[in-house]
Amino acid sequence: MYSFDYVKPSSLQDALDAISGGGQPLGGGQTLIPTLKQRLAMPEALVDLTGIAELKGVSMSGDKLSVGGATRHADVAASAEVKAKIPALAALAGQIGDPQVRNRGTIGGSIANNDPAACYPSAVLALGATVRTDKREIAADDYFQGLFTTALEEGEVVVGVDFPVPEKAAYQKFVQPASRFALTGVFVAKFAGGVRVAVTGASQDGVFRWSEAEAALSSNFSADAVPAAPVADGMIGDIHGTPEYRAHLVQVMTKRAVAAAG
Amino acid sequence: MEISGTKLIAADRQTVWEALNDPEVLKASIPGCTEMEKTGENNLEATVVAKVGPVKATFKGAVELTDINAPESYRIVGEGKGGVAGFAKGEATVNLAEVEGGTELTYQADAKVGGKLAQLGSRIIEGFARKMADEFFTNFQEKVGAPEAPEPEEAPAETAEGEGEGGEGEKKGFFKKLFS
Repeated sequence: MYSFDYVKPSSLQDALDAISGGGQPLGGGQTLIPTLKQRLAMPEALVDLTGIAELKGVSMSGDKLSVGGATRHADVAASAEVKAKIPALAALAGQIGDPQVRNRGTIGGSIANNDPAACYPSAVLALGATVRTDKREIAADDYFQGLFTTALEEGEVVVGVDFPVPEKAAYQKFVQPASRFALTGVFVAKFAGGVRVAVTGASQDGVFRWSEAEAALSSNFSADAVPAAPVADGMIGDIHGTPEYRAHLVQVMTKRAVAAAG
Repeated sequence: MEISGTKLIAADRQTVWEALNDPEVLKASIPGCTEMEKTGENNLEATVVAKVGPVKATFKGAVELTDINAPESYRIVGEGKGGVAGFAKGEATVNLAEVEGGTELTYQADAKVGGKLAQLGSRIIEGFARKMADEFFTNFQEKVGAPEAPEPEEAPAETAEGEGEGGEGEKKGFFKKLFS
Protein backbone atom coordinates (compact mmCIF):
# COMPACT_ATOMS: atom_id res chain seq x y z
CA MET A 1 0.00 0.00 0.00
CA TYR A 2 1.21 3.48 -0.66
CA SER A 3 -0.12 6.58 1.03
CA PHE A 4 -1.90 9.49 -0.60
CA ASP A 5 -4.10 12.32 0.55
CA TYR A 6 -7.83 12.30 -0.07
CA VAL A 7 -10.01 15.37 0.04
CA LYS A 8 -13.71 15.74 -0.71
CA PRO A 9 -14.47 19.44 -1.05
CA SER A 10 -18.04 20.71 -1.12
CA SER A 11 -17.42 23.64 -3.44
CA LEU A 12 -15.99 23.75 -6.94
CA GLN A 13 -13.55 26.49 -5.95
CA ASP A 14 -12.09 24.41 -3.12
CA ALA A 15 -11.73 21.50 -5.51
CA LEU A 16 -9.97 23.61 -8.11
CA ASP A 17 -7.60 24.94 -5.45
CA ALA A 18 -6.74 21.39 -4.38
CA ILE A 19 -6.26 20.31 -8.00
CA SER A 20 -4.00 23.23 -8.82
CA GLY A 21 -1.95 22.16 -5.80
CA GLY A 22 -1.23 18.89 -7.59
CA GLY A 23 -4.28 16.81 -6.75
CA GLN A 24 -5.76 14.29 -9.18
CA PRO A 25 -9.47 14.86 -9.85
CA LEU A 26 -11.61 11.84 -8.98
CA GLY A 27 -15.11 11.30 -10.35
CA GLY A 28 -16.79 7.99 -9.61
CA GLY A 29 -13.44 6.24 -9.77
CA GLN A 30 -14.58 3.43 -12.06
CA THR A 31 -11.38 3.59 -14.08
CA LEU A 32 -9.04 5.54 -11.82
CA ILE A 33 -9.44 3.40 -8.70
CA PRO A 34 -8.66 0.09 -10.46
CA THR A 35 -5.68 1.84 -12.02
CA LEU A 36 -4.46 2.90 -8.58
CA LYS A 37 -4.97 -0.61 -7.24
CA GLN A 38 -2.75 -1.91 -10.00
CA ARG A 39 -0.17 0.79 -9.19
CA LEU A 40 -0.33 2.01 -12.74
CA ALA A 41 -0.69 5.55 -11.42
CA MET A 42 0.35 6.92 -8.04
CA PRO A 43 -0.95 10.46 -7.51
CA GLU A 44 -0.07 12.16 -4.25
CA ALA A 45 -3.59 13.40 -3.65
CA LEU A 46 -7.10 12.61 -4.85
CA VAL A 47 -9.69 15.36 -5.08
CA ASP A 48 -13.14 13.77 -4.96
CA LEU A 49 -15.60 15.81 -7.04
CA THR A 50 -18.72 13.90 -6.00
CA GLY A 51 -19.42 16.01 -2.90
CA ILE A 52 -19.97 19.20 -4.88
CA ALA A 53 -23.69 19.94 -5.10
CA GLU A 54 -23.33 22.38 -8.00
CA LEU A 55 -21.87 19.61 -10.18
CA LYS A 56 -24.80 17.29 -9.67
CA GLY A 57 -28.24 16.97 -11.15
CA VAL A 58 -30.21 17.50 -14.32
CA SER A 59 -32.07 20.62 -15.43
CA MET A 60 -33.28 22.43 -18.51
CA SER A 61 -31.10 25.39 -19.37
CA GLY A 62 -32.81 27.31 -22.16
CA ASP A 63 -33.55 24.73 -24.84
CA LYS A 64 -30.77 22.41 -23.70
CA LEU A 65 -30.76 19.57 -21.21
CA SER A 66 -27.98 20.23 -18.76
CA VAL A 67 -26.35 17.38 -16.82
CA GLY A 68 -23.89 18.18 -14.02
CA GLY A 69 -20.42 16.68 -14.35
CA ALA A 70 -20.64 14.68 -11.13
CA THR A 71 -24.09 13.26 -11.92
CA ARG A 72 -24.08 9.48 -11.65
CA HIS A 73 -25.23 7.22 -14.48
CA ALA A 74 -28.04 5.83 -12.29
CA ASP A 75 -29.37 9.34 -11.69
CA VAL A 76 -29.41 10.16 -15.40
CA ALA A 77 -31.11 6.82 -16.13
CA ALA A 78 -33.81 7.50 -13.54
CA SER A 79 -34.35 11.19 -14.25
CA ALA A 80 -37.90 12.01 -15.33
CA GLU A 81 -36.56 15.08 -17.12
CA VAL A 82 -34.02 13.11 -19.17
CA LYS A 83 -36.61 10.45 -19.97
CA ALA A 84 -39.00 13.12 -21.17
CA LYS A 85 -36.54 15.17 -23.23
CA ILE A 86 -33.93 12.68 -24.49
CA PRO A 87 -35.08 9.16 -23.65
CA ALA A 88 -32.17 7.70 -25.61
CA LEU A 89 -29.74 9.33 -23.17
CA ALA A 90 -31.53 7.89 -20.15
CA ALA A 91 -31.52 4.48 -21.82
CA LEU A 92 -27.80 4.73 -22.57
CA ALA A 93 -27.00 5.65 -18.96
CA GLY A 94 -29.11 2.74 -17.75
CA GLN A 95 -27.05 0.27 -19.78
CA ILE A 96 -23.58 1.33 -18.70
CA GLY A 97 -21.70 -1.42 -16.88
CA ASP A 98 -23.64 -2.90 -14.01
CA PRO A 99 -25.58 -1.39 -11.06
CA GLN A 100 -22.37 -0.91 -9.07
CA VAL A 101 -20.78 1.07 -11.89
CA ARG A 102 -23.93 3.10 -12.50
CA ASN A 103 -24.17 4.06 -8.84
CA ARG A 104 -20.59 5.34 -8.71
CA GLY A 105 -19.59 6.41 -12.20
CA THR A 106 -20.22 9.97 -13.37
CA ILE A 107 -20.75 11.53 -16.78
CA GLY A 108 -17.87 13.96 -16.24
CA GLY A 109 -15.52 11.15 -15.31
CA SER A 110 -16.55 9.12 -18.34
CA ILE A 111 -15.97 11.86 -20.87
CA ALA A 112 -12.81 13.17 -19.18
CA ASN A 113 -11.34 9.66 -19.44
CA ASN A 114 -12.62 9.16 -23.01
CA ASP A 115 -12.17 5.41 -23.06
CA PRO A 116 -12.46 4.29 -26.70
CA ALA A 117 -15.30 1.90 -25.76
CA ALA A 118 -17.22 4.06 -23.28
CA CYS A 119 -20.90 4.76 -24.00
CA TYR A 120 -21.27 8.43 -23.03
CA PRO A 121 -18.86 9.90 -25.59
CA SER A 122 -21.13 8.65 -28.40
CA ALA A 123 -24.13 10.52 -26.97
CA VAL A 124 -22.17 13.71 -26.38
CA LEU A 125 -20.81 13.64 -29.93
CA ALA A 126 -23.98 12.52 -31.73
CA LEU A 127 -26.13 15.08 -29.93
CA GLY A 128 -23.58 17.82 -30.59
CA ALA A 129 -23.48 18.65 -26.90
CA THR A 130 -21.40 21.37 -25.30
CA VAL A 131 -18.94 20.42 -22.57
CA ARG A 132 -18.78 23.09 -19.89
CA THR A 133 -15.60 23.24 -17.81
CA ASP A 134 -14.43 25.53 -15.04
CA LYS A 135 -12.73 27.65 -17.72
CA ARG A 136 -14.76 27.50 -20.95
CA GLU A 137 -17.29 25.78 -23.17
CA ILE A 138 -16.10 23.20 -25.67
CA ALA A 139 -18.17 21.86 -28.59
CA ALA A 140 -18.28 18.06 -28.72
CA ASP A 141 -16.71 18.09 -32.18
CA ASP A 142 -13.63 19.78 -30.71
CA TYR A 143 -13.64 17.94 -27.41
CA PHE A 144 -12.84 14.33 -28.32
CA GLN A 145 -9.33 14.07 -29.69
CA GLY A 146 -8.55 10.38 -29.94
CA LEU A 147 -7.73 7.52 -27.64
CA PHE A 148 -8.05 8.71 -24.01
CA THR A 149 -7.41 12.23 -25.25
CA THR A 150 -9.65 15.27 -24.92
CA ALA A 151 -9.42 19.03 -25.23
CA LEU A 152 -9.22 19.27 -21.43
CA GLU A 153 -6.08 20.84 -20.09
CA GLU A 154 -4.25 19.60 -17.04
CA GLY A 155 -6.42 20.29 -14.00
CA GLU A 156 -9.47 21.38 -16.01
CA VAL A 157 -12.73 20.00 -14.63
CA VAL A 158 -15.93 19.07 -16.49
CA VAL A 159 -18.63 21.08 -14.74
CA GLY A 160 -21.49 19.91 -16.93
CA VAL A 161 -22.67 18.80 -20.34
CA ASP A 162 -25.42 20.64 -22.22
CA PHE A 163 -27.37 18.50 -24.68
CA PRO A 164 -29.51 19.92 -27.49
CA VAL A 165 -32.83 18.07 -27.61
CA PRO A 166 -33.17 16.05 -30.86
CA GLU A 167 -36.36 15.19 -32.75
CA LYS A 168 -35.49 11.55 -32.24
CA ALA A 169 -32.51 9.57 -31.13
CA ALA A 170 -31.46 6.07 -30.12
CA TYR A 171 -28.38 4.26 -28.86
CA GLN A 172 -27.67 0.64 -29.64
CA LYS A 173 -24.67 -1.22 -28.36
CA PHE A 174 -23.32 -4.68 -28.84
CA VAL A 175 -22.01 -5.44 -25.38
CA GLN A 176 -18.81 -7.10 -24.40
CA PRO A 177 -20.58 -9.47 -22.04
CA ALA A 178 -18.03 -9.40 -19.23
CA SER A 179 -17.48 -5.66 -18.89
CA ARG A 180 -20.62 -4.39 -20.65
CA PHE A 181 -18.40 -1.92 -22.43
CA ALA A 182 -19.47 -1.36 -26.02
CA LEU A 183 -17.84 -3.86 -28.36
CA THR A 184 -19.40 -1.39 -30.75
CA GLY A 185 -22.07 1.15 -29.92
CA VAL A 186 -23.83 3.64 -32.17
CA PHE A 187 -25.79 6.74 -31.17
CA VAL A 188 -28.00 8.23 -33.87
CA ALA A 189 -29.64 11.64 -33.41
CA LYS A 190 -32.02 13.34 -35.81
CA PHE A 191 -32.34 17.12 -35.70
CA ALA A 192 -34.24 19.48 -37.97
CA GLY A 193 -30.94 20.36 -39.60
CA GLY A 194 -29.72 16.81 -40.22
CA VAL A 195 -28.66 13.53 -38.67
CA ARG A 196 -25.56 12.87 -36.57
CA VAL A 197 -24.14 9.40 -36.05
CA ALA A 198 -21.42 8.71 -33.48
CA VAL A 199 -19.69 5.36 -33.06
CA THR A 200 -17.87 4.12 -29.95
CA GLY A 201 -15.96 0.91 -29.22
CA ALA A 202 -14.90 0.36 -32.81
CA SER A 203 -12.07 2.70 -33.72
CA GLN A 204 -8.59 2.73 -32.27
CA ASP A 205 -8.96 6.50 -32.11
CA GLY A 206 -12.05 6.30 -29.94
CA VAL A 207 -15.45 7.80 -30.66
CA PHE A 208 -15.97 9.15 -34.18
CA ARG A 209 -18.72 10.48 -36.44
CA TRP A 210 -19.66 8.25 -39.35
CA SER A 211 -20.13 10.93 -41.97
CA GLU A 212 -21.28 8.64 -44.83
CA ALA A 213 -24.15 7.41 -42.70
CA GLU A 214 -24.99 10.95 -41.60
CA ALA A 215 -25.27 12.10 -45.20
CA ALA A 216 -27.41 9.14 -46.24
CA LEU A 217 -29.69 9.33 -43.20
CA SER A 218 -30.12 13.08 -43.47
CA SER A 219 -31.87 12.59 -46.79
CA ASN A 220 -33.64 9.35 -45.88
CA PHE A 221 -33.97 8.45 -42.21
CA SER A 222 -34.53 4.71 -42.52
CA ALA A 223 -32.51 1.62 -41.71
CA ASP A 224 -32.41 0.74 -45.41
CA ALA A 225 -30.52 3.93 -46.14
CA VAL A 226 -27.54 3.03 -43.92
CA PRO A 227 -24.52 2.66 -46.21
CA ALA A 228 -22.14 -0.29 -46.45
CA ALA A 229 -19.88 -0.95 -43.46
CA PRO A 230 -16.89 1.39 -43.14
CA VAL A 231 -13.39 0.05 -43.86
CA ALA A 232 -11.85 -2.10 -41.14
CA ASP A 233 -8.55 -0.28 -41.25
CA GLY A 234 -7.99 1.47 -37.94
CA MET A 235 -10.67 -0.50 -36.09
CA ILE A 236 -9.85 -2.24 -32.80
CA GLY A 237 -8.86 -5.90 -32.97
CA ASP A 238 -8.66 -8.01 -29.81
CA ILE A 239 -9.76 -11.40 -28.51
CA HIS A 240 -13.39 -10.29 -28.61
CA GLY A 241 -13.50 -9.32 -32.24
CA THR A 242 -11.43 -8.53 -35.30
CA PRO A 243 -11.34 -5.11 -36.96
CA GLU A 244 -13.55 -6.52 -39.76
CA TYR A 245 -16.07 -7.76 -37.22
CA ARG A 246 -16.25 -4.35 -35.56
CA ALA A 247 -16.57 -2.56 -38.90
CA HIS A 248 -19.50 -4.83 -39.70
CA LEU A 249 -21.03 -4.10 -36.30
CA VAL A 250 -20.87 -0.38 -37.01
CA GLN A 251 -23.28 -0.85 -39.89
CA VAL A 252 -25.51 -3.29 -38.04
CA MET A 253 -25.77 -1.21 -34.88
CA THR A 254 -26.46 1.93 -36.92
CA LYS A 255 -29.36 0.19 -38.63
CA ARG A 256 -30.70 -0.97 -35.29
CA ALA A 257 -30.36 2.50 -33.81
CA VAL A 258 -32.24 4.08 -36.72
CA ALA A 259 -34.96 1.46 -36.42
CA ALA A 260 -35.16 2.01 -32.65
CA ALA A 261 -35.41 5.78 -33.08
CA GLY A 262 -38.44 5.15 -35.29
CA MET B 1 2.07 -6.65 -33.03
CA GLU B 2 3.39 -5.39 -36.31
CA ILE B 3 3.25 -1.81 -37.40
CA SER B 4 4.60 -0.24 -40.53
CA GLY B 5 4.39 3.03 -42.32
CA THR B 6 5.89 5.60 -44.62
CA LYS B 7 6.58 9.25 -44.11
CA LEU B 8 7.97 11.92 -46.43
CA ILE B 9 10.56 14.18 -44.86
CA ALA B 10 11.52 17.38 -46.66
CA ALA B 11 15.26 17.04 -46.22
CA ASP B 12 18.00 15.18 -48.04
CA ARG B 13 18.79 11.63 -47.06
CA GLN B 14 22.04 12.41 -45.30
CA THR B 15 20.30 14.96 -43.07
CA VAL B 16 17.53 12.53 -42.20
CA TRP B 17 20.04 9.82 -41.49
CA GLU B 18 21.97 12.05 -39.16
CA ALA B 19 18.81 13.07 -37.37
CA LEU B 20 17.93 9.41 -36.90
CA ASN B 21 21.23 8.98 -35.16
CA ASP B 22 21.10 12.16 -33.10
CA PRO B 23 20.04 11.51 -29.50
CA GLU B 24 18.85 15.11 -29.12
CA VAL B 25 16.53 14.92 -32.12
CA LEU B 26 15.22 11.58 -30.98
CA LYS B 27 14.63 12.84 -27.48
CA ALA B 28 12.71 15.84 -28.77
CA SER B 29 10.64 13.65 -31.08
CA ILE B 30 9.71 10.82 -28.78
CA PRO B 31 6.57 11.75 -26.84
CA GLY B 32 7.28 11.66 -23.12
CA CYS B 33 11.01 11.09 -23.50
CA THR B 34 12.78 12.66 -20.55
CA GLU B 35 16.26 11.26 -21.04
CA MET B 36 18.24 9.95 -23.97
CA GLU B 37 21.84 9.14 -23.66
CA LYS B 38 24.40 7.59 -25.93
CA THR B 39 26.16 4.81 -24.10
CA GLY B 40 28.20 3.42 -26.94
CA GLU B 41 28.78 3.87 -30.62
CA ASN B 42 25.53 2.16 -31.47
CA ASN B 43 23.83 2.03 -28.11
CA LEU B 44 21.40 4.38 -26.45
CA GLU B 45 19.61 4.47 -23.14
CA ALA B 46 16.29 6.19 -22.80
CA THR B 47 13.67 7.03 -20.21
CA VAL B 48 10.14 7.57 -21.43
CA VAL B 49 7.10 8.52 -19.40
CA ALA B 50 4.12 6.96 -21.11
CA LYS B 51 0.75 8.41 -20.26
CA VAL B 52 -2.51 7.01 -21.48
CA GLY B 53 -5.77 7.73 -19.75
CA PRO B 54 -5.19 7.37 -16.03
CA VAL B 55 -2.06 5.28 -16.51
CA LYS B 56 1.31 6.87 -16.10
CA ALA B 57 4.31 4.59 -16.32
CA THR B 58 8.00 5.27 -16.65
CA PHE B 59 9.98 3.00 -18.90
CA LYS B 60 13.72 2.73 -18.92
CA GLY B 61 15.31 0.88 -21.73
CA ALA B 62 18.33 0.19 -23.86
CA VAL B 63 18.38 0.45 -27.62
CA GLU B 64 20.89 -0.94 -30.04
CA LEU B 65 21.35 -0.01 -33.67
CA THR B 66 22.35 -2.92 -35.86
CA ASP B 67 22.64 -3.84 -39.55
CA ILE B 68 23.76 -0.32 -40.19
CA ASN B 69 23.94 0.57 -43.85
CA ALA B 70 24.45 4.33 -43.81
CA PRO B 71 22.70 6.37 -45.03
CA GLU B 72 20.07 3.92 -46.19
CA SER B 73 18.89 1.69 -43.44
CA TYR B 74 19.32 0.28 -39.98
CA ARG B 75 17.59 -1.95 -37.54
CA ILE B 76 16.78 -0.83 -34.05
CA VAL B 77 16.39 -3.38 -31.32
CA GLY B 78 15.11 -2.23 -27.96
CA GLU B 79 13.93 -3.50 -24.69
CA GLY B 80 12.50 -1.54 -21.81
CA LYS B 81 11.16 -2.15 -18.35
CA GLY B 82 8.33 -0.25 -16.77
CA GLY B 83 8.45 -1.57 -13.24
CA VAL B 84 5.10 -2.85 -12.09
CA ALA B 85 3.55 -1.91 -15.42
CA GLY B 86 5.42 -4.53 -17.42
CA PHE B 87 7.98 -4.65 -20.15
CA ALA B 88 8.26 -4.13 -23.84
CA LYS B 89 10.53 -5.46 -26.50
CA GLY B 90 10.65 -4.40 -30.05
CA GLU B 91 12.61 -3.99 -33.17
CA ALA B 92 12.18 -1.91 -36.25
CA THR B 93 13.79 -1.75 -39.64
CA VAL B 94 14.05 1.75 -41.04
CA ASN B 95 14.75 2.50 -44.68
CA LEU B 96 15.45 5.85 -46.30
CA ALA B 97 14.94 6.45 -50.00
CA GLU B 98 15.68 9.58 -52.00
CA VAL B 99 12.52 10.84 -53.65
CA GLU B 100 11.33 14.03 -55.19
CA GLY B 101 10.82 16.57 -52.45
CA GLY B 102 13.05 14.92 -49.90
CA THR B 103 13.44 11.56 -48.30
CA GLU B 104 10.95 8.80 -47.91
CA LEU B 105 11.20 7.02 -44.60
CA THR B 106 9.73 3.54 -44.39
CA TYR B 107 9.63 1.47 -41.26
CA GLN B 108 8.50 -1.92 -40.20
CA ALA B 109 8.30 -2.66 -36.56
CA ASP B 110 7.45 -5.63 -34.46
CA ALA B 111 6.83 -5.36 -30.75
CA LYS B 112 5.81 -7.38 -27.78
CA VAL B 113 4.39 -6.14 -24.53
CA GLY B 114 4.14 -8.13 -21.36
CA GLY B 115 3.11 -7.78 -17.76
CA LYS B 116 0.17 -5.96 -16.28
CA LEU B 117 -0.28 -3.54 -19.10
CA ALA B 118 -0.55 -6.32 -21.61
CA GLN B 119 -3.09 -8.12 -19.46
CA LEU B 120 -5.22 -5.10 -18.85
CA GLY B 121 -4.78 -3.19 -22.03
CA SER B 122 -4.99 -5.58 -24.94
CA ARG B 123 -7.94 -3.64 -26.31
CA ILE B 124 -5.97 -0.44 -26.63
CA ILE B 125 -2.34 -1.38 -27.06
CA GLU B 126 -2.30 -1.23 -30.81
CA GLY B 127 -4.16 2.04 -30.94
CA PHE B 128 -1.81 3.52 -28.41
CA ALA B 129 1.29 2.32 -30.24
CA ARG B 130 -0.03 3.87 -33.39
CA LYS B 131 -0.80 7.11 -31.68
CA MET B 132 2.68 7.31 -30.18
CA ALA B 133 4.22 6.53 -33.54
CA ASP B 134 2.16 9.20 -35.18
CA GLU B 135 3.23 11.77 -32.64
CA PHE B 136 6.83 10.72 -33.04
CA PHE B 137 6.71 11.14 -36.81
CA THR B 138 4.96 14.44 -36.64
CA ASN B 139 7.56 15.72 -34.20
CA PHE B 140 10.42 14.26 -36.22
CA GLN B 141 9.06 15.77 -39.41
CA GLU B 142 8.73 19.17 -37.79
CA LYS B 143 12.21 18.95 -36.44
CA VAL B 144 13.91 17.67 -39.57
CA GLY B 145 11.79 18.92 -42.43
CA ALA B 146 8.09 19.37 -42.89
CA PRO B 147 6.82 18.88 -46.42
CA GLU B 148 5.46 22.08 -47.90
CA ALA B 149 2.13 20.78 -48.98
CA PRO B 150 -0.01 18.41 -47.02
CA GLU B 151 0.78 15.06 -48.32
CA PRO B 152 -1.34 12.29 -49.43
CA GLU B 153 1.00 9.96 -47.79
CA GLU B 154 0.30 11.02 -44.41
CA ALA B 155 -2.86 9.27 -43.86
CA PRO B 156 -1.57 5.93 -44.82
CA ALA B 157 1.47 6.56 -42.86
CA GLU B 158 -0.45 7.03 -39.78
CA THR B 159 -2.46 4.05 -40.15
CA ALA B 160 0.44 2.09 -40.53
CA GLU B 161 2.64 3.64 -38.28
CA GLY B 162 4.31 1.99 -35.79
CA GLU B 163 6.52 3.26 -33.96
CA GLY B 164 8.76 4.10 -36.08
CA GLU B 165 11.96 5.02 -36.40
CA GLY B 166 14.97 4.86 -34.79
CA GLY B 167 14.52 6.64 -31.79
CA GLU B 168 11.41 5.22 -31.64
CA GLY B 169 12.54 1.90 -31.60
CA GLU B 170 12.79 2.30 -28.09
CA LYS B 171 9.66 3.90 -27.80
CA LYS B 172 8.09 1.40 -29.61
CA GLY B 173 9.39 -0.87 -27.33
CA PHE B 174 8.04 0.99 -24.53
CA PHE B 175 4.75 1.51 -25.90
CA LYS B 176 4.39 -1.76 -27.10
CA LYS B 177 5.26 -2.91 -23.88
CA LEU B 178 2.72 -0.85 -22.52
CA PHE B 179 0.16 -1.90 -24.67
CA SER B 180 0.73 -4.67 -26.74
